[in-house]
Amino acid sequence: MKPKPYSTLFTALLEAAVVASIACVIGAAVQWVHPNSIPFFANEAYETMVPCPVQEGKVTELSPQSPLLQEKNVLIIDAREEPDFDDWHVKNALRITYDFLDPIPAADQKKIARKIAAKRVSKVIVYGDGDTPDTGKLLGIDISASGIKNVFYVKGGAPKLQSEKPGSTP
Amino acid sequence: MNAFIYWKGHRWLALPARLYLGGVFIWASLHKIALPETFALDVATYNIVPLYLINLMAICLPWIEIISGAMMVAGYKSRASAWMITGMMVMFLTALLIALSNGLDMSCGCFASSTMEEGDAISTATVFRDVSWLVLGIYILLLDRQPLGLESWLRHRNKRNS
Repeated sequence: MKPKPYSTLFTALLEAAVVASIACVIGAAVQWVHPNSIPFFANEAYETMVPCPVQEGKVTELSPQSPLLQEKNVLIIDAREEPDFDDWHVKNALRITYDFLDPIPAADQKKIARKIAAKRVSKVIVYGDGDTPDTGKLLGIDISASGIKNVFYVKGGAPKLQSEKPGSTP
Repeated sequence: MNAFIYWKGHRWLALPARLYLGGVFIWASLHKIALPETFALDVATYNIVPLYLINLMAICLPWIEIISGAMMVAGYKSRASAWMITGMMVMFLTALLIALSNGLDMSCGCFASSTMEEGDAISTATVFRDVSWLVLGIYILLLDRQPLGLESWLRHRNKRNS
Protein backbone atom coordinates (compact mmCIF):
# COMPACT_ATOMS: atom_id res chain seq x y z
CA MET A 1 0.00 0.00 0.00
CA LYS A 2 1.32 3.40 -1.02
CA PRO A 3 1.66 6.02 1.72
CA LYS A 4 -0.49 9.14 1.42
CA PRO A 5 1.24 11.63 -0.89
CA TYR A 6 2.29 14.09 1.80
CA SER A 7 2.11 11.93 4.93
CA THR A 8 5.88 12.12 5.37
CA LEU A 9 6.06 15.91 5.03
CA PHE A 10 5.32 16.55 8.69
CA THR A 11 7.89 13.97 9.75
CA ALA A 12 10.42 15.64 7.46
CA LEU A 13 9.57 19.01 9.01
CA LEU A 14 10.27 17.64 12.50
CA GLU A 15 13.55 16.17 11.26
CA ALA A 16 14.43 19.53 9.72
CA ALA A 17 13.80 21.26 13.06
CA VAL A 18 16.04 18.76 14.86
CA VAL A 19 18.84 19.06 12.28
CA ALA A 20 18.63 22.87 12.33
CA SER A 21 18.91 22.83 16.13
CA ILE A 22 21.94 20.53 15.94
CA ALA A 23 23.49 22.83 13.31
CA CYS A 24 23.05 25.78 15.68
CA VAL A 25 24.72 23.86 18.49
CA ILE A 26 27.64 22.97 16.19
CA GLY A 27 27.90 26.60 15.09
CA ALA A 28 27.95 27.76 18.70
CA ALA A 29 30.53 25.12 19.66
CA VAL A 30 32.79 26.08 16.76
CA GLN A 31 32.81 29.66 18.04
CA TRP A 32 34.88 28.49 21.04
CA VAL A 33 37.77 27.54 18.75
CA HIS A 34 37.15 29.81 15.77
CA PRO A 35 40.03 32.26 15.15
CA ASN A 36 37.53 34.95 14.04
CA SER A 37 34.82 34.19 16.60
CA ILE A 38 32.11 36.67 17.50
CA PRO A 39 30.04 36.98 20.69
CA PHE A 40 26.61 35.32 20.63
CA PHE A 41 24.96 38.69 21.15
CA ALA A 42 26.26 41.89 19.56
CA ASN A 43 27.44 44.42 22.15
CA GLU A 44 26.87 47.46 19.97
CA ALA A 45 25.17 48.30 16.69
CA TYR A 46 27.04 47.48 13.49
CA GLU A 47 28.18 50.44 11.44
CA THR A 48 26.61 49.73 8.10
CA MET A 49 27.36 51.94 5.13
CA VAL A 50 24.70 51.88 2.45
CA PRO A 51 24.54 54.60 -0.21
CA CYS A 52 21.37 56.69 -0.14
CA PRO A 53 18.76 55.69 -2.71
CA VAL A 54 19.20 57.65 -5.94
CA GLN A 55 16.16 59.73 -6.87
CA GLU A 56 15.27 59.54 -10.51
CA GLY A 57 13.18 62.66 -10.98
CA LYS A 58 13.60 64.85 -14.06
CA VAL A 59 14.20 68.57 -13.84
CA THR A 60 14.75 71.05 -16.63
CA GLU A 61 17.32 73.80 -16.31
CA LEU A 62 15.99 77.32 -16.49
CA SER A 63 17.86 80.56 -17.04
CA PRO A 64 17.34 83.30 -14.38
CA GLN A 65 16.07 85.57 -17.18
CA SER A 66 13.46 83.06 -18.34
CA PRO A 67 9.99 84.56 -18.95
CA LEU A 68 8.53 81.46 -17.30
CA LEU A 69 9.35 83.06 -13.95
CA GLN A 70 6.82 85.80 -14.69
CA GLU A 71 3.98 83.47 -15.64
CA LYS A 72 0.93 83.22 -13.40
CA ASN A 73 0.32 79.48 -13.41
CA VAL A 74 3.71 78.58 -11.96
CA LEU A 75 4.59 77.63 -8.42
CA ILE A 76 7.95 79.03 -7.37
CA ILE A 77 9.72 77.22 -4.55
CA ASP A 78 12.69 78.50 -2.58
CA ALA A 79 14.87 75.64 -1.33
CA ARG A 80 17.08 77.73 0.96
CA GLU A 81 17.20 78.13 4.75
CA GLU A 82 14.69 80.41 6.49
CA PRO A 83 17.15 83.31 7.24
CA ASP A 84 18.22 83.44 3.58
CA PHE A 85 14.57 83.35 2.53
CA ASP A 86 13.75 86.20 4.93
CA ASP A 87 16.62 88.26 3.54
CA TRP A 88 15.40 87.95 -0.01
CA HIS A 89 13.11 85.77 -2.04
CA VAL A 90 11.12 85.82 -5.26
CA LYS A 91 7.66 87.30 -4.75
CA ASN A 92 5.06 84.67 -3.76
CA ALA A 93 7.73 81.97 -3.50
CA LEU A 94 6.96 79.05 -1.20
CA ARG A 95 9.81 78.10 1.13
CA ILE A 96 10.58 74.36 1.30
CA THR A 97 14.06 74.15 2.79
CA TYR A 98 16.00 71.30 1.23
CA ASP A 99 17.34 68.86 3.80
CA PHE A 100 20.03 66.48 2.53
CA LEU A 101 19.00 63.82 5.04
CA ASP A 102 15.21 64.13 4.68
CA PRO A 103 14.60 65.66 1.24
CA ILE A 104 10.82 66.21 1.23
CA PRO A 105 9.01 65.62 4.53
CA ALA A 106 5.38 64.50 4.19
CA ALA A 107 4.11 67.85 5.53
CA ASP A 108 5.98 69.76 2.81
CA GLN A 109 4.72 67.37 0.15
CA LYS A 110 1.16 68.17 1.26
CA LYS A 111 1.98 71.89 1.19
CA ILE A 112 3.20 71.63 -2.41
CA ALA A 113 0.17 69.54 -3.46
CA ARG A 114 -2.22 72.06 -1.85
CA LYS A 115 -0.55 75.00 -3.63
CA ILE A 116 -0.61 73.19 -6.95
CA ALA A 117 -4.30 72.41 -6.56
CA ALA A 118 -5.24 75.89 -5.34
CA LYS A 119 -3.37 77.84 -8.04
CA ARG A 120 -4.02 75.35 -10.85
CA VAL A 121 -0.32 75.27 -11.38
CA SER A 122 1.08 73.72 -14.54
CA LYS A 123 4.78 74.24 -13.80
CA VAL A 124 6.93 74.16 -10.70
CA ILE A 125 10.12 76.23 -10.60
CA VAL A 126 12.62 75.65 -7.83
CA TYR A 127 15.61 77.75 -6.95
CA GLY A 128 18.19 77.13 -4.26
CA ASP A 129 21.55 78.39 -3.07
CA GLY A 130 23.19 77.99 -6.48
CA ASP A 131 26.06 76.09 -4.91
CA THR A 132 27.49 72.77 -6.02
CA PRO A 133 25.40 70.72 -5.53
CA ASP A 134 22.56 73.20 -5.92
CA THR A 135 19.81 72.68 -3.36
CA GLY A 136 17.31 73.99 -5.92
CA LYS A 137 18.19 71.29 -8.42
CA LEU A 138 18.19 68.56 -5.74
CA LEU A 139 14.80 69.63 -4.39
CA GLY A 140 13.47 69.81 -7.96
CA ILE A 141 14.61 66.23 -8.58
CA ASP A 142 12.89 65.08 -5.40
CA ILE A 143 9.67 66.92 -6.25
CA SER A 144 9.70 65.39 -9.73
CA ALA A 145 10.44 61.93 -8.29
CA SER A 146 7.36 62.30 -6.07
CA GLY A 147 5.23 62.32 -9.24
CA ILE A 148 4.90 66.03 -10.07
CA LYS A 149 5.49 66.88 -13.73
CA ASN A 150 7.02 69.97 -15.38
CA VAL A 151 9.57 70.75 -12.69
CA PHE A 152 12.27 73.31 -13.47
CA TYR A 153 15.23 74.65 -11.50
CA VAL A 154 16.93 77.99 -11.90
CA LYS A 155 20.56 77.69 -12.87
CA GLY A 156 22.71 79.65 -10.43
CA GLY A 157 19.90 79.73 -7.86
CA ALA A 158 19.01 82.69 -5.67
CA PRO A 159 22.27 84.64 -6.19
CA LYS A 160 21.70 84.80 -9.95
CA LEU A 161 18.00 85.57 -9.54
CA GLN A 162 18.76 88.31 -7.03
CA SER A 163 21.10 89.99 -9.51
CA GLU A 164 18.30 89.87 -12.08
CA LYS A 165 15.64 90.87 -9.50
CA PRO A 166 12.56 89.40 -11.20
CA GLY A 167 9.87 90.68 -8.89
CA SER A 168 11.88 90.07 -5.78
CA THR A 169 10.88 91.19 -2.31
CA PRO A 170 13.29 92.62 0.23
CA MET B 1 -2.78 13.82 -10.27
CA ASN B 2 -1.69 10.83 -8.16
CA ALA B 3 0.06 9.33 -11.18
CA PHE B 4 2.13 12.50 -11.46
CA ILE B 5 2.96 12.52 -7.74
CA TYR B 6 4.01 8.86 -7.73
CA TRP B 7 5.86 9.02 -11.06
CA LYS B 8 9.17 7.17 -10.67
CA GLY B 9 10.99 9.61 -12.92
CA HIS B 10 10.94 12.33 -10.26
CA ARG B 11 13.87 10.77 -8.42
CA TRP B 12 15.98 11.00 -11.60
CA LEU B 13 14.80 14.52 -12.42
CA ALA B 14 15.39 15.64 -8.87
CA LEU B 15 18.92 14.22 -8.70
CA PRO B 16 20.66 17.00 -10.68
CA ALA B 17 18.44 19.57 -8.95
CA ARG B 18 19.52 18.19 -5.57
CA LEU B 19 23.21 18.16 -6.48
CA TYR B 20 23.00 21.72 -7.82
CA LEU B 21 20.97 23.16 -4.92
CA GLY B 22 23.03 21.33 -2.29
CA GLY B 23 26.25 22.52 -3.95
CA VAL B 24 25.00 26.10 -3.99
CA PHE B 25 24.23 26.01 -0.27
CA ILE B 26 27.55 24.38 0.65
CA TRP B 27 29.40 26.96 -1.45
CA ALA B 28 27.38 29.84 0.04
CA SER B 29 28.11 28.73 3.59
CA LEU B 30 31.91 28.55 3.33
CA HIS B 31 32.79 32.25 3.53
CA LYS B 32 30.13 32.79 6.19
CA ILE B 33 31.64 30.09 8.38
CA ALA B 34 35.17 31.40 7.79
CA LEU B 35 34.27 35.05 8.46
CA PRO B 36 31.30 35.24 10.85
CA GLU B 37 31.88 38.90 11.64
CA THR B 38 31.64 40.03 8.01
CA PHE B 39 28.53 37.89 7.57
CA ALA B 40 27.05 39.50 10.70
CA LEU B 41 27.76 42.87 9.09
CA ASP B 42 25.96 41.71 5.93
CA VAL B 43 22.96 40.66 8.03
CA ALA B 44 22.99 44.02 9.83
CA THR B 45 23.11 45.90 6.51
CA TYR B 46 19.67 44.55 5.58
CA ASN B 47 18.39 46.46 8.62
CA ILE B 48 15.64 43.91 9.30
CA VAL B 49 16.94 41.66 12.07
CA PRO B 50 17.03 43.14 15.61
CA LEU B 51 20.52 43.70 17.03
CA TYR B 52 20.34 40.88 19.59
CA LEU B 53 19.62 38.33 16.86
CA ILE B 54 22.28 39.40 14.33
CA ASN B 55 25.22 37.45 15.77
CA LEU B 56 23.11 34.39 16.61
CA MET B 57 21.92 34.34 13.02
CA ALA B 58 25.46 34.80 11.69
CA ILE B 59 26.59 31.85 13.83
CA CYS B 60 23.71 29.45 13.15
CA LEU B 61 22.66 30.11 9.55
CA PRO B 62 25.91 29.05 7.78
CA TRP B 63 25.90 25.74 9.65
CA ILE B 64 22.29 25.09 8.73
CA GLU B 65 23.25 25.89 5.13
CA ILE B 66 26.24 23.56 5.01
CA ILE B 67 24.49 20.66 6.78
CA SER B 68 21.32 20.93 4.71
CA GLY B 69 23.44 21.28 1.55
CA ALA B 70 25.46 18.18 2.44
CA MET B 71 22.29 16.20 3.22
CA MET B 72 20.81 17.31 -0.09
CA VAL B 73 23.89 16.28 -2.07
CA ALA B 74 24.23 12.95 -0.23
CA GLY B 75 20.56 12.13 -0.57
CA TYR B 76 20.17 11.56 3.15
CA LYS B 77 16.93 12.93 4.66
CA SER B 78 16.70 15.08 1.57
CA ARG B 79 13.09 16.09 2.30
CA ALA B 80 14.15 17.42 5.71
CA SER B 81 16.97 19.27 4.02
CA ALA B 82 14.51 20.56 1.39
CA TRP B 83 12.37 21.94 4.24
CA MET B 84 15.39 23.80 5.63
CA ILE B 85 16.47 25.11 2.22
CA THR B 86 12.94 26.17 1.29
CA GLY B 87 12.56 27.92 4.64
CA MET B 88 15.86 29.73 4.19
CA MET B 89 14.97 30.73 0.62
CA VAL B 90 11.66 32.22 1.81
CA MET B 91 13.59 34.13 4.48
CA PHE B 92 16.26 35.36 2.02
CA LEU B 93 13.65 36.38 -0.54
CA THR B 94 11.67 38.33 2.05
CA ALA B 95 14.82 40.16 3.16
CA LEU B 96 15.77 40.83 -0.45
CA LEU B 97 12.36 42.23 -1.36
CA ILE B 98 12.31 44.46 1.72
CA ALA B 99 15.82 45.75 0.91
CA LEU B 100 14.85 46.39 -2.72
CA SER B 101 11.62 48.13 -1.77
CA ASN B 102 13.64 50.37 0.58
CA GLY B 103 15.86 51.26 -2.38
CA LEU B 104 19.01 49.92 -0.70
CA ASP B 105 21.98 49.76 -3.06
CA MET B 106 23.93 47.00 -1.35
CA SER B 107 25.64 43.69 -1.89
CA CYS B 108 23.54 40.53 -1.51
CA GLY B 109 26.10 38.95 0.82
CA CYS B 110 24.91 35.57 -0.45
CA PHE B 111 28.24 34.15 -1.57
CA ALA B 112 30.85 36.60 -0.39
CA SER B 113 30.79 39.55 1.92
CA SER B 114 29.91 42.99 0.59
CA THR B 115 33.44 44.06 1.46
CA MET B 116 34.93 41.25 -0.61
CA GLU B 117 32.79 41.17 -3.73
CA GLU B 118 31.33 44.35 -5.16
CA GLY B 119 29.67 42.63 -8.14
CA ASP B 120 26.97 40.87 -6.09
CA ALA B 121 24.58 43.81 -5.79
CA ILE B 122 20.93 43.05 -5.09
CA SER B 123 18.58 43.47 -8.06
CA THR B 124 15.51 41.91 -9.65
CA ALA B 125 17.93 39.34 -11.18
CA THR B 126 18.82 38.27 -7.62
CA VAL B 127 15.11 37.87 -6.87
CA PHE B 128 14.59 35.68 -9.97
CA ARG B 129 17.64 33.58 -9.04
CA ASP B 130 16.34 33.06 -5.51
CA VAL B 131 12.84 32.26 -6.78
CA SER B 132 14.29 29.58 -9.10
CA TRP B 133 16.11 28.01 -6.13
CA LEU B 134 12.92 28.18 -4.08
CA VAL B 135 11.03 26.38 -6.86
CA LEU B 136 13.73 23.68 -6.98
CA GLY B 137 13.51 23.29 -3.21
CA ILE B 138 9.71 22.97 -3.30
CA TYR B 139 9.95 20.43 -6.15
CA ILE B 140 12.36 18.26 -4.16
CA LEU B 141 10.29 18.66 -1.01
CA LEU B 142 7.00 17.66 -2.60
CA LEU B 143 7.89 15.24 -5.39
CA ASP B 144 11.25 13.61 -4.71
CA ARG B 145 9.68 10.97 -2.50
CA GLN B 146 12.32 8.27 -2.93
CA PRO B 147 15.53 10.19 -3.48
CA LEU B 148 18.52 8.48 -5.01
CA GLY B 149 21.55 8.53 -2.76
CA LEU B 150 22.78 7.49 0.64
CA GLU B 151 19.37 6.89 2.23
CA SER B 152 18.12 4.70 -0.60
CA TRP B 153 21.44 2.78 -0.61
CA LEU B 154 21.18 2.20 3.16
CA ARG B 155 17.56 1.02 2.77
CA HIS B 156 18.54 -1.48 0.06
CA ARG B 157 21.45 -2.76 2.13
CA ASN B 158 19.25 -3.26 5.19
CA LYS B 159 16.66 -5.10 3.09
CA ARG B 160 19.33 -7.41 1.68
CA ASN B 161 20.74 -8.11 5.15
CA SER B 162 17.35 -8.91 6.61
